[in-house]
Amino acid sequence: MVTIYIDGVGYEVPAGTNLVDVAKFYADNDIPVFCYHPKMAPVGMCRMCLVEMGSVEKDKESGTVLLDEQGSPKIRWMPKMQTACTQTVYDGLAIRTNTQQVTEAREDIVEFLLTSHPLDCPICDKGGECPLQNLTMRHGPGVSVFYFEDKMHLAKHVPLGELIYLDRERCIQCARCIRFSDELAGDDVLAFHERGRALQIVTVSDPPFDSKFSGNTTDICPVGALTTADFRFGARPWELKEVPSIDPYGPEGANISLSTRLDRDSGGGIIIKRVMPRQNEHVNEIWISDKTRFGHHHTRHIDRLVTPLHREKNTLIETTWDKAFKQIIDKLKGATSVGAIAGPGLSNEDLWELRQLVLAVGGSEKSLGIWPATMSGGEVVKQVGIAKGSNFNTMGKGTVIVLVATDLEEEAPIWWLRAKAARDRGATVVVLNGRPTKMDRYAKFSLRHEYGDAVGAINSLTAHIVNGNHHKADRAEGFAELQKALKKVKADDRYAAAAEAIAGADNVVVFCGAEGVTLAQHAELMQACANVLILTGHVGRTNNGLIPVWPGANTQGAIDLGYTAEATAELLQNPPAVLIVAGCNPVGEDIAAANLRNADFVIVTSQFDTATTAIADVVLPQQSFAEREGTFTSGERRVQRFYAAQGVIGESFPDWKIFAQVRHAIDKSTAKVSAGAVMAEITKSVAAYSAMGYKNLAQVERQFPDVGGTDQYYGGTAYQNTGGIGVQWPVSAENAEAKLNVVPVSSEKSKAKGLLVVPTTLLYDRGMLFVRSEIMSLRIPPAHANFSPADAQKLKLQDGDMVEINLEGASLTVQIIVNETIPAGVITLPKCLSDQPGPFAPMVAGSIEKVAQALAATGD
Amino acid sequence: MLAEKYAERIQKIFSKYPDKRSAVMPLLYVAQEEFGWVSPEAIEEVAVLCEIDPTQVKSIAGFYTMYSEKPKGKYWLQVCTDFPCALRGADQFHQALLDHLGIEEGGTTEDGLFTVEHVMCLAACDKAPMLQCNFHYVENLDMDKMKALLDQWRADAKDSAAD
Ligand code: SF4
Ligand code: FES
Ligand code: FES
Repeated sequence: MVTIYIDGVGYEVPAGTNLVDVAKFYADNDIPVFCYHPKMAPVGMCRMCLVEMGSVEKDKESGTVLLDEQGSPKIRWMPKMQTACTQTVYDGLAIRTNTQQVTEAREDIVEFLLTSHPLDCPICDKGGECPLQNLTMRHGPGVSVFYFEDKMHLAKHVPLGELIYLDRERCIQCARCIRFSDELAGDDVLAFHERGRALQIVTVSDPPFDSKFSGNTTDICPVGALTTADFRFGARPWELKEVPSIDPYGPEGANISLSTRLDRDSGGGIIIKRVMPRQNEHVNEIWISDKTRFGHHHTRHIDRLVTPLHREKNTLIETTWDKAFKQIIDKLKGATSVGAIAGPGLSNEDLWELRQLVLAVGGSEKSLGIWPATMSGGEVVKQVGIAKGSNFNTMGKGTVIVLVATDLEEEAPIWWLRAKAARDRGATVVVLNGRPTKMDRYAKFSLRHEYGDAVGAINSLTAHIVNGNHHKADRAEGFAELQKALKKVKADDRYAAAAEAIAGADNVVVFCGAEGVTLAQHAELMQACANVLILTGHVGRTNNGLIPVWPGANTQGAIDLGYTAEATAELLQNPPAVLIVAGCNPVGEDIAAANLRNADFVIVTSQFDTATTAIADVVLPQQSFAEREGTFTSGERRVQRFYAAQGVIGESFPDWKIFAQVRHAIDKSTAKVSAGAVMAEITKSVAAYSAMGYKNLAQVERQFPDVGGTDQYYGGTAYQNTGGIGVQWPVSAENAEAKLNVVPVSSEKSKAKGLLVVPTTLLYDRGMLFVRSEIMSLRIPPAHANFSPADAQKLKLQDGDMVEINLEGASLTVQIIVNETIPAGVITLPKCLSDQPGPFAPMVAGSIEKVAQALAATGD
Repeated sequence: MLAEKYAERIQKIFSKYPDKRSAVMPLLYVAQEEFGWVSPEAIEEVAVLCEIDPTQVKSIAGFYTMYSEKPKGKYWLQVCTDFPCALRGADQFHQALLDHLGIEEGGTTEDGLFTVEHVMCLAACDKAPMLQCNFHYVENLDMDKMKALLDQWRADAKDSAAD
């Protein structure tokens, strides 16, 4: 801590922080800014933050502060004002913000910025939460010496792609949008063009403004120059009620605000007008991906299921809840076997009630499956998951971030963004995968392994660590066996330097995905990662441990409540007599789910008609995340609440309520009446969740830097976190006494001959919920497969050809892209891009036939 | 394609810099020489060569006034009309030239040969009036000299079209 003086008053503030941020946080002194943003490096471009600046005089010998006659510290002032935003605090820094000189400077800058501002606030989306508007009211001169006629008039509806619009008149050229895209998102697709009065924002990338984070620029733009196509002219900020919620798509648990109002478009019901980030410095800071921001349209889509359906003479027809319940209860009571597959967007409450129901009618934990069923290793996470209290904000030099078998930007964009920011602060990035991904640009070590051999790659790391005597085995249970097994591992030299970096690091975080890995291999891969972390002592301490890149928003919660991917695999092999599929579409997504048709009776809860409801005997309309309360558990094991925001669509119900009522009818247990009551039961039954009562989860804390609040300083109130910052559950490694299992694992490479089809995950896919947001339709690529140039040549295929790929009883028609980043012998096939199911696990392709020629290349 | 036509020259340019993106400015000159202006296609091509996003290339082309993002005549005449030149009649000279060619400031003659534009000081104040033609200085001008030059350039253009 250092002492600084603001307008004569001393404050104790953390050393090395930014003056503007600490003045706001500690002294409640809002130094006005336009170009500065607390999440980006200062540039000092707008001069709005000018203050008088000086340093206290100290006695040269003793270092004590010299005092004037009044007893206040003597200050040596600089002759001219300085920009506060470019100043880092140091002991003895003094500023004056309330003098005439400062006031005049602020007036002048506002007047200058307004010389060519259109002042069209009455029709501007930002009006009401606009920093320029607010600062003009606070610091503007009220009159201008400039002629109104001299204002420049510029284009007002310039699309920067189909998602973001630019109003050139409103732009004050602060470059926040450019700096965000370039420095933080790593997408250098925005830039200034021309100079002086002609300066303007441009993008000529293809597709234009090609960034998965583009929406964030509209939040940080201090004027209404950037707006989203989704919200443009949609509502005024002051009409909106901000409801705290959680991203329903990704494992990062991004905190969001659903801006809602009563709306004509919904016949007077409450609907979501926009999705905004909500500040949670532990989770997503103030950022969300465009998927989170624009993917909310399913909540009120015209195709939402509004009544229960049941099968009569082979077609699904509408029925009542009573009749549907009766049918379900009869079937469940007499069932010889019961199983459930739970989707990635079920809340913990839904999952709990589903579990209780399945157990009540004779099912076991072995019949509780998760969807998608691609990842394993819940037990490993319990031991060595990233330690409670870890925060990417505090990672930098000394931290090593390892990415294993994941394309992190596509699978968990917020983690990608934060890991990259840590790297920009000095962290070392190690990437292990079968092909390069965007993170490789920032990696110190880009290590390629053969798909199918991820475990071997990690074993190489472990072998180097142990052979080089870099390990600490004191907490490792089973080390002797591991050591013995490692003798047989041929440590690949390419991994030596990375192993050394990991062993020597202060902190290590491992992201483990499942690209190119079968479910069976994945359990081993997670253990292999755990071995590395345990043997290098990077567990149980803040900023250390494993983060599984789960495929869904609440996969972690499902695993915590006893669901597994292994159970799903078993259910797909041997469908039970009565199968419940809750909130997912296995049949439409994965070729391995075709067998589910063989279940005698299938109950599906869903928001939409899908290939899975098509095999159902009863379909129950399920509520979306926006209509109800609940909790999700992020991949960092943070349990977080989301709140009911939107009016209920049709007769839909939350899953927990459906399952609770069915169970009540069967075993006379008391059916809970609120999601909070379900959580109360979970806190009593699941040890890790004992602190997860709704009150605890709703706790908030004051966050630094201060970006959201009623003062509307950096924008609107949407940033403000009123819903809770969530609670993480601790892993066993955090108990210093606990022994941790290291287990030898070996990778079984498939011996089958042929091209290996590796399913990959894309952020924008045709998943049953996301595809309903038509605004994103141009960003979802057509169904395609990437071929290496060598394989394409061998098969006489050209970029753009349509091919039929035959796989274990299924065949897929896709367009091919010849892509030199793909290794020979491999085809990568993004999941969920067409209505045909595809593979979810890597498998060897049968025949590949060209079914149509690429359209002849245009031009020369 | 620049990459094929100027392979050697481009290689030489790259060899001067530690990374490819640093070569963007000299490559923009190559493109401008070839096409007479920095077209969107040229921007795309330079971006591919330098392995950066075309938006960055466009930003650079827009910032520096010696790149033109509008098509220009074969001879791009930039007449200095800054203060010292103006004292020696540069304004009148500029206007006379425009009148002679029958175009407006910034315009291009119908045959596509000449574009005239006034610019700030070119650091040849002692030889005013002056202009630069495709970045080569032509000094101590008057309209008689100018007309002779224009004729010569027309003839040159015809010759080169004939080859
Ligand atoms: S568009 Fe907005 S964020 Fe970008 S430079 Fe202009 S005012 Fe700043
Ligand atoms: S905020 Fe723009 S110069 Fe400081
Ligand atoms: S003023 Fe014309 S060259 Fe300097």
